[in-house]
Amino acid sequence: MSGVPEITEDQRDCLQEIVNVAMGQAGESLACLLEVFVQLSVPRIRLIESKDITPELQKMIGGDDAKVSAVRQAFYRSSGRLDIQGEALLVFSDTSFHDLAELMAYEEELTLNAEQELLLDVSNILNGACLTGIAEQLESELGYSPPSLIGSNLATDKILSEEQLSWAEALMIEITYRLENRSFNCNLMFLMTGKSIRALLTAIDEFLDEL
Amino acid sequence: MAIPILICDDSLVSRKMVQKSLPPGWEVDITLAKNGQEGLEKIRDGLGEVVFLDLTMPVMDGFQLLEAMKTENLKAFVFVISADIQPEARSRVLGLGAMDFIKKPINAQKLETTLKNFGLL
Repeated sequence: MSGVPEITEDQRDCLQEIVNVAMGQAGESLACLLEVFVQLSVPRIRLIESKDITPELQKMIGGDDAKVSAVRQAFYRSSGRLDIQGEALLVFSDTSFHDLAELMAYEEELTLNAEQELLLDVSNILNGACLTGIAEQLESELGYSPPSLIGSNLATDKILSEEQLSWAEALMIEITYRLENRSFNCNLMFLMTGKSIRALLTAIDEFLDEL
Repeated sequence: MAIPILICDDSLVSRKMVQKSLPPGWEVDITLAKNGQEGLEKIRDGLGEVVFLDLTMPVMDGFQLLEAMKTENLKAFVFVISADIQPEARSRVLGLGAMDFIKKPINAQKLETTLKNFGLL
């Protein structure tokens, strides 16, 4: 079976609520890291097919020539009913990320190294909180690989490899955080096989049945 | 006599989770609202003596509802239930007259303790 499964209104609402709670936790971690108040918005969630991933990203990030930084992190089931595995991918537009980095590096000079370190830290917080939050609320635990940088100053069509595009469907989560007078957007994607996505939806159905 | 309570949240799942977390045996009449505007109307109609309020909602959000209640001098025990757990969000809603701030995901035991603290149980 291939293709992206249909998501029902109830499933979306449920996932949205679960992610919302998780992003609240991530927001608090970010606020601590950056020492600013983070204004949260409700994350937007969609399931998309592999062929639509790149065009969707371009649409959100703004144009074919936008440059992005991207970080990947693998996740897998460790215990519980949520039998999923895949790769989390966090994509920032470079301008958005520069703003964030500037905000952080208020005293230090913003070296490339420091910027990349920040990118990995922020990715770890956002991916970790989001995935852990989803798993926890579905009574499961996930394991993670350390995050690694795919690259900076990348064209949006260079984020995913041919190989990834051959198997992955994506659960795409659009996150906007506003920090003081700046805002930064990032896109969090969970690349999973159709099988993993169906497992996620099944776990959500069970969760809904228990309500 | 049953206490009129209002659950105001745009998410169906979230409304159900609040309902499920209410202390068993607590005599209440539950009214539901999907945004702040609907919530405000129910409160005006006397259907929300105790209000469980989400912050991020379409049409009218939780902050706006609290402000409107202040302007119209509507009294209720409002408990904000929110995913935003930063201290500033908490102090902001308490400043607007909410009784307490409860973190999502809602926990039945903590809710019971909170309600007891305010003499509602």
